[in-house]
Amino acid sequence: MTRRYGSTLALFLLLLTAVLAACGPKGTAPVATPTPTLAPAPGLTPTAPGPTPTEIAATTTPTGGVFRRLWDEPPTLDPHLTTDTASAGIIVEVFSGLVALDTDLNLVPELAERWEVSQDSTVYTFYLRPDAKFHSGRSVTAGDVKYSIERAADPKTLSPVADIYLADIVGALDKLNGRASEVRGVQVIDQHTVQFTLDSPKAYFLAKLTYPTAYVVDRENIEKDGTRWTQRPNGTGAFKLKEYKVGERIILERNPLYYRGPAKLDQVVFILSGGSAMAMYENNEIDITGVGLADLERVRNPQSPLNKELVVSPPGFEVAYIGFNVKQPPFDDAKVRQAMTYAINKDLIAKQVLADLVVPAYGILPPGFPGFNPAPQGLHFDADKATQLLAESKYAQDFPRVVLTVPGTGGSVGLDLEAILETWRQVLGIQVEIQQVEFATFLQDLNAHKLQLFAGLGWQADYPDPSNFLDVLFHSNNSLNHTDYHNEEVDRLLEQARTETQWEARAALYQQAEGLIIQDASVVPLWFGGEQVFLLKPYVKGYRPTPLIVPKLKDVYLAK
Amino acid sequence: MLAYLVRRLLWLPFLLLAVSLLTFALGTYGPGDPVQVRLGARYTPEAGTRLRHELGLDRPLLAQYGQYVWRALRGDLGVSLRFTGRPVSDVIGRRVWVSVQLGFAAVVVSVLLGIPLGLLAAHRQGTWLDTAVISLALFFYSVPVFLTAPLLILVFAVRLHWLPTSGWNGLPDPHIIMPALALGLPGVAGLARLTRASALEVLGQDYVRTARAKGLPEVQVQYRHVLRNALIPVLTTLGMALATLVSGAFITETLFGIPGIGSLAVESIFQRDYPVVMAITLLLAAAFVAANLLVDILYVALDPRIRYR
Amino acid sequence: MELAEQQAVAQRHRGEGPWARLLRRFLHKKVAVACLALVVALYLAGVLAPLLAPYGYNQTDLLHPLEGPSGAHWLGTDRLGRDLLSRLLWGLQTTVIITAAATLTGSLALGILLGLASGYLGRRVDSAIMRVGELFLAFPDILLVILLAATLKPRAVELVRSFEDSLGFRGIVQSGAVDYLVVFGALAAFSWVGMARLVRGQVLALKEQTFVEAARANGASTWRVLRVHLLPNALSPVLVSVSAGMGAVAGSEVVLSWLGIGIQPPRPSLGLMILDNGNLSALRATPHLLLAPVAAVALLIFAWNLLGDALNDVLNPRAR
Repeated sequence: MTRRYGSTLALFLLLLTAVLAACGPKGTAPVATPTPTLAPAPGLTPTAPGPTPTEIAATTTPTGGVFRRLWDEPPTLDPHLTTDTASAGIIVEVFSGLVALDTDLNLVPELAERWEVSQDSTVYTFYLRPDAKFHSGRSVTAGDVKYSIERAADPKTLSPVADIYLADIVGALDKLNGRASEVRGVQVIDQHTVQFTLDSPKAYFLAKLTYPTAYVVDRENIEKDGTRWTQRPNGTGAFKLKEYKVGERIILERNPLYYRGPAKLDQVVFILSGGSAMAMYENNEIDITGVGLADLERVRNPQSPLNKELVVSPPGFEVAYIGFNVKQPPFDDAKVRQAMTYAINKDLIAKQVLADLVVPAYGILPPGFPGFNPAPQGLHFDADKATQLLAESKYAQDFPRVVLTVPGTGGSVGLDLEAILETWRQVLGIQVEIQQVEFATFLQDLNAHKLQLFAGLGWQADYPDPSNFLDVLFHSNNSLNHTDYHNEEVDRLLEQARTETQWEARAALYQQAEGLIIQDASVVPLWFGGEQVFLLKPYVKGYRPTPLIVPKLKDVYLAK
Repeated sequence: MLAYLVRRLLWLPFLLLAVSLLTFALGTYGPGDPVQVRLGARYTPEAGTRLRHELGLDRPLLAQYGQYVWRALRGDLGVSLRFTGRPVSDVIGRRVWVSVQLGFAAVVVSVLLGIPLGLLAAHRQGTWLDTAVISLALFFYSVPVFLTAPLLILVFAVRLHWLPTSGWNGLPDPHIIMPALALGLPGVAGLARLTRASALEVLGQDYVRTARAKGLPEVQVQYRHVLRNALIPVLTTLGMALATLVSGAFITETLFGIPGIGSLAVESIFQRDYPVVMAITLLLAAAFVAANLLVDILYVALDPRIRYR
Repeated sequence: MELAEQQAVAQRHRGEGPWARLLRRFLHKKVAVACLALVVALYLAGVLAPLLAPYGYNQTDLLHPLEGPSGAHWLGTDRLGRDLLSRLLWGLQTTVIITAAATLTGSLALGILLGLASGYLGRRVDSAIMRVGELFLAFPDILLVILLAATLKPRAVELVRSFEDSLGFRGIVQSGAVDYLVVFGALAAFSWVGMARLVRGQVLALKEQTFVEAARANGASTWRVLRVHLLPNALSPVLVSVSAGMGAVAGSEVVLSWLGIGIQPPRPSLGLMILDNGNLSALRATPHLLLAPVAAVALLIFAWNLLGDALNDVLNPRAR
């Protein structure tokens, strides 16, 4: 195996932050990032599955408590269907898969206690824990794993992501397209051994298996209860579903049979109804809440009693940007794009308007991200240069209509955008029309590359490799290249980087590509995620915020 | 009367058909594609085609509509697109009940405050009390709920800790108090003014004078003659009030995070969850018609002078 | 009033016509006059916003955000350092346009026309109009409005844009005219029913009266009967209903903005200003940003309603 950078970590899909904003849990702990383990992985050999100290502590002294948080109604509790954070946040606690990520984002054994990888890295043999049981007490067998994968890949299941997360397994796509009745690449060897065959070596395969699409479900449960089976899910996770009152609350309780030692919490209450998380927190209705711009000043005040409960977690890997469609006038002229980028004083807006909750972005790769270029390279605020560039552009005399499309329904388009629009008007004399469309329409027009100028988007929470930002967003063949950006040189550099095996050489290629991309200014990078601020009741112990959805409630407890 | 009722009831299915057709047409004509919403950032044309096919969204529109009507007639309202795979009746069922409870509580607030205040104002007509009562009621009508709701939460939950801030916890439960107030208070003004006007009208009528002249105790005059007759016009507006209540519920439910049908409707439209939108529209339309019919019946029951042809 | 006194009053004003009498009765009501003055002041402020506003509605000053009231900014500034007073005045202009346009098109034009037709022509026309009205009433209006906005508005804007492009001029979309159109189009679609029913009822009652029958017997045309005889007599309840309705329309602008159907920023509207700050956190951190637009909207609704009451008293003295 090559020591590819970041190979321990998940290939998690690009998520539009807008999607997160639309579907993510409201007001609860923000998606916050502890610095992910970026150390080169020691290959994918399993670590010894012996119990960790916390597991021992958990089995000997299960302390109790009920942890309460505000949550969005999950669209589904079916692991094979989920694509959103509200669903996944509950599913990862109730169900489990062969492998998982821990709160430090390390890959750890879950239902499989260990696994072997063949010489050519295409055959994975998983050995299930003999003590792994469903909530009902039935043992988890290799047959359950095969059934689960085949259910996820069944077109009748309607999984929106099966083709992304399972496509590497031989025969999965045939099953998904109705050409096969089983997934050939998943073979039951014996009661507790199951073998996966891949179509080619995939460094990220195990990481993909941590996503709920590959979780194990109980066939009997599904066949007996039909479409309503998720109301009584028989999972394998650390918690089991005690109560689900649609629109009111979901209560999870400790699963005493959990094979990695029972959880410390007695119960977790996800409150599904309710408006202001901050008020609920102050009224002692919930134990954790995110802090928004309006409350920030009050909470940051050292005199506030809330100040002691303030928890700050390091920034996530995300960048928000404004996109220009480089095929449509006036943005087919790079000078116009550059002028509009130079005109924006990001530092001032971040400080004065957004209370430093974000970090001004002058590149594409966020700080701390592999390949991040610390040397200031972007187009910094320069009003004179902006006006000069606009005057040199071919639209200097007759500037066409510009329409900025943002997803949203009513209300402000965002303070930062309003400030930027006003800047463009003042510095460049460009009047931009705003068009706010609800998310459904926005997505449709974005996918059709119809939007001339768009904002309200960002890339977030992906696997730590520069290709994830640069290749996906800027290679001319990529369908997510919504700006229609095309630069032969950039394409060549990105393609070269795909096959380059030496990390230093790859990083250099990506930095070169990033430099070109910034100069071409097909997007205005606006903000990197800043530090996330939230409030946590002091009696809550062991809570670790993570940038990705991973099981994390098992080791939380309340010390009241 | 009976013929009138039958005629109204016969008209109902056509009305529902028209409403459903309009909703369906708007939903399918307009931009936005439920499949793309569901796939979000993961959208690729291939995945879109596959999902569209499995969901039956690639079939001719008329066939889709026909099938919808056919199934709806047999009580099957389809499957929600957003709450993946859940039957629409499951998604809506509980929420309807929540909204009904909240709406009822709000009507109770409006009626319990509005009618006595209206009567009070009528009896003290022209005094400062009259002006004060009507102005106060109008004040609550005029101030948008976007201020009253957070203000209520701030005072009674965050500062005094008397009530829970928001959300829903079934009944009986203090969670309902503030949303019921927020939803019911604006309605007080209308009821109070109407009651006042109608009571004034009644007070001037001959039969009230006669009743007084023949020495009936004032309490009896008020109850038997004034109240009953004054309430007839008030009653007729309650049917219309349902519409106002539904609009208000959309906002109140969202502001207080109550899992009712109003908040669901807004979300479903924006997420292009057509089956849910259709079901809610039909449900509300039927409820409006039923409410107005009920009012008509009550009208006749209370006032024998009225006849329907 | 004593009988003798009433006679004395009547004698004193014998010489005046009916309009003068109404006007005097109206002016006699202090509350009514105060409300009228308030409404006129608020509407004037809105109409004259371009002259009155000390700053541009979108003029940001990032170095002075969230300032309290001062000599430079009478009502303080918002998070982008924009002058709150200027935004309030421009927001009032939006309200003025929307209330006027929605009332004129929906309740006045559509409602009166259909009501007159329905009441006077009767039979098929009547039942057709009333059935359609019933359909609109049965349709949960707020749902239809959201549906219309989500589905039709983006395309309507696109249409106007391509229209503008083909004619080579700009500004309709920029001015928010299309947004206005969609907003009051949506409002009009529902506000006509009530008015039509009201007018129809009036017409049905008046139709039987002798002066209308006489006019018809003399061979007056349908249109003439409607215009000369029925409309003026049906006018007083219409006036009362319009006055109360204006307040309701001002209120629904807030709701429509909340639903994302209102005016697009950067154009300010009272609804948008309320929405952006209509939450607990904003109320605690920056109360002036919420209270100022709320006060403007509430005053407007309040004044319109009291004015409606007063008009009712003046025009229908029986109900006093």
